[in-house]
Amino acid sequence: MAPDPDAVLLLAFQRGDQAAFRALFEKYARPMVAFCHRFVRDAARAEELAQDVFLKVHHSAAGWRPEASVRAWIYRIASNHCLNELRRGEHSARQARGPGGEPLDPDALPGPAATPEESAAGAALTRAVQALLESLPEKQRLAFVLCRFEGLSYQEIARSLDTSVSAVKSLIHRATVRAAEALSPLAGPLAGKEALP
Amino acid sequence: MTGRAPEHVREELTALLDGALDAARRSEVEAHLRACPECGAERERLGAAISALRALPAPPPPSPAFEARFFARLAREGDRPRGALARLAALRWRVVAPLAGAAAAAAMAAVAVVRHRADEAGLARNLELLDQLELVASLGDVDAADVEVVAHLRDLEEGRP
Repeated sequence: MAPDPDAVLLLAFQRGDQAAFRALFEKYARPMVAFCHRFVRDAARAEELAQDVFLKVHHSAAGWRPEASVRAWIYRIASNHCLNELRRGEHSARQARGPGGEPLDPDALPGPAATPEESAAGAALTRAVQALLESLPEKQRLAFVLCRFEGLSYQEIARSLDTSVSAVKSLIHRATVRAAEALSPLAGPLAGKEALP
Repeated sequence: MTGRAPEHVREELTALLDGALDAARRSEVEAHLRACPECGAERERLGAAISALRALPAPPPPSPAFEARFFARLAREGDRPRGALARLAALRWRVVAPLAGAAAAAAMAAVAVVRHRADEAGLARNLELLDQLELVASLGDVDAADVEVVAHLRDLEEGRP
């Protein structure tokens, strides 16, 4: 079996290769900022959190062992950090506000190629998912985000959240049932979005 | 209908849709689905939700300066091998000492209660205050970074990153 390229990089970094750390940073920078954004909904704060995560990765790299998945290890650090952020609740007071006092949500802004219908459907979906995420218990939320948006396997999520695969299965199922309930009112507009290539 | 209860199979439907069941369990669930319209409908509902989530707009990408800012911060802070542990040592008198004082005061108050009322549960409750992040955060001269260190005390104890 081919070696995990992330593990090769992290082992090289453990031997002092700073370029290997930079390569890991470049690979995970965008997904890590996106992951943090699912929890704080503020672009600047998400970047701060992602920086914190990479600092911890840098400082903790000596303790990583090759038998552990690098991706699961990094997301474990990120999950703990975002969980602490949620518990502190600082982000809620720091969220950017639009001119009308509504939270300024970059996801809700129309993309350059979106039609008005697509933009409206995307904004409605974004609002529904954000409300869903905020309503989920902490571990359900983490497992759901790691599965649905970061693409981690159940095994990787179990390692990231320090729990069993069967517990992850239950967490993701319960969150997905809640998602089905939350998104059912959008069934019409979403059917159009799903038809997109 | 098989002998398996529909509710039991429903618990497996998300894992089935995510391809997370082993082959044997997947065969069992699929056999049940062929005979159970209710579970079949639930699978469709969950599958539609999972598909809809794929249409969610991506969060904004990092700003162009993100990488430069991070490596500048790393250059400033990166020479501390175990930043949190070092901070914890520095916090000894600023946080741990006040906490110890608070715990001692709580313990003395609790001991008085024990003497007069034999209420040992009160002592336990007071000592548990040490585990409360809110207590640390409430200390007037403790900054947010210090609170974060205390929030990670459990991780540090367990050797987690």
